[in-house]
Amino acid sequence: MSEADFSADPPRANADVWVIVRCFNEASRVGDVVASLRPTFPNIVGVDDGSSDGSGQVMAARGATVLRHAINLGAGAALQTGIEFALSDPSMRYVICFDADGQHRSADAASMIERMRAEPVDILIGSRFLKADDAPALPTSRRLLLKAARVFERALYGVSLSDAHNGLRVFSRAFASTVDLKLSDMAYASELVGLIAASGLSYAEHPVTIDYSEYSLAKGQRSINSVNIAVDACMQRMLKGRR
Amino acid sequence: MTAIKVLLIAGVVGVMLWAFRNRTTVGLRAGVRISIMGLAALAIASIINPNITQHAANMLGVTRGTDLVLYVLIVVFMATSLGMYFRFKELERRLAQIVRANAIRDAQTSKSEGKHQAFSSHEA
Repeated sequence: MSEADFSADPPRANADVWVIVRCFNEASRVGDVVASLRPTFPNIVGVDDGSSDGSGQVMAARGATVLRHAINLGAGAALQTGIEFALSDPSMRYVICFDADGQHRSADAASMIERMRAEPVDILIGSRFLKADDAPALPTSRRLLLKAARVFERALYGVSLSDAHNGLRVFSRAFASTVDLKLSDMAYASELVGLIAASGLSYAEHPVTIDYSEYSLAKGQRSINSVNIAVDACMQRMLKGRR
Repeated sequence: MTAIKVLLIAGVVGVMLWAFRNRTTVGLRAGVRISIMGLAALAIASIINPNITQHAANMLGVTRGTDLVLYVLIVVFMATSLGMYFRFKELERRLAQIVRANAIRDAQTSKSEGKHQAFSSHEA
């Protein structure tokens, strides 16, 4: 992407949308991700979760508003930061969560926003499993793990999403203002499913394409981490005691 | 099932439930202090007269006094670990809040100073 892309007047079509790109040490990828979003979405907030490789500067150079965590807090905390910042803009109507490693497509985000504007849906979750041709790209172990996550979340929250751990999500302002993620790390994805169930707002899934690269697969979570996620999510759910 | 088993299971479950439901209240902290004082008093008493634990063990159906001490220790250790777990979670949550507030404030400050491109103005 060249400099001209963001020195030109950004389109105001999606001025009521904030894209949240949270990243931790993704400097080699996140610049292209922000640049690919800029032509469609003028408002991008990059949450630099304590990176040491200059990810924040890379995002700022591509036109994102950068929020920098002084220390690394984890994916859930970074997303919460982005959401709270987006909520401080009174004209914001939608937030998009977008992964920093280049696995999502800007066009998918754009079509999700179009659908949100057309349908009375508050939460739109990307799913890679609604497109039959995309499935073989995913390693079998990953697919089984995601299936297990689905069963787990249905048991815990009563919400069934085919791909709840897909990083591409769109929230309406109504839902975004109810989000209060307490689990800082990757367990936030399960916590988010619980928040969706608790909000009582309408949700739907939207077919998206994931561009698997060696980079994004290597960056992805280790499978064993799902044990930590499951325990934390269960604790969070069971122990909602008095404060 | 001997009396000690019933007591220990009830103790473990009771302590867990109680700690979970009241983990940040004043009552819990007061309870912890009272338990610590109670345990200290028991410890001193059993040091002065080691036969106390054996008598207690006999009454409760445990073979040896040392076993009884071990069982009580397990319950106390579990309660302590849980207390630590919740404390850490709470600290983590507060840390996240302060780092988040800082990040948002920094961004808004630099934006109003004009370092970034113009965005829809929504200064607080």
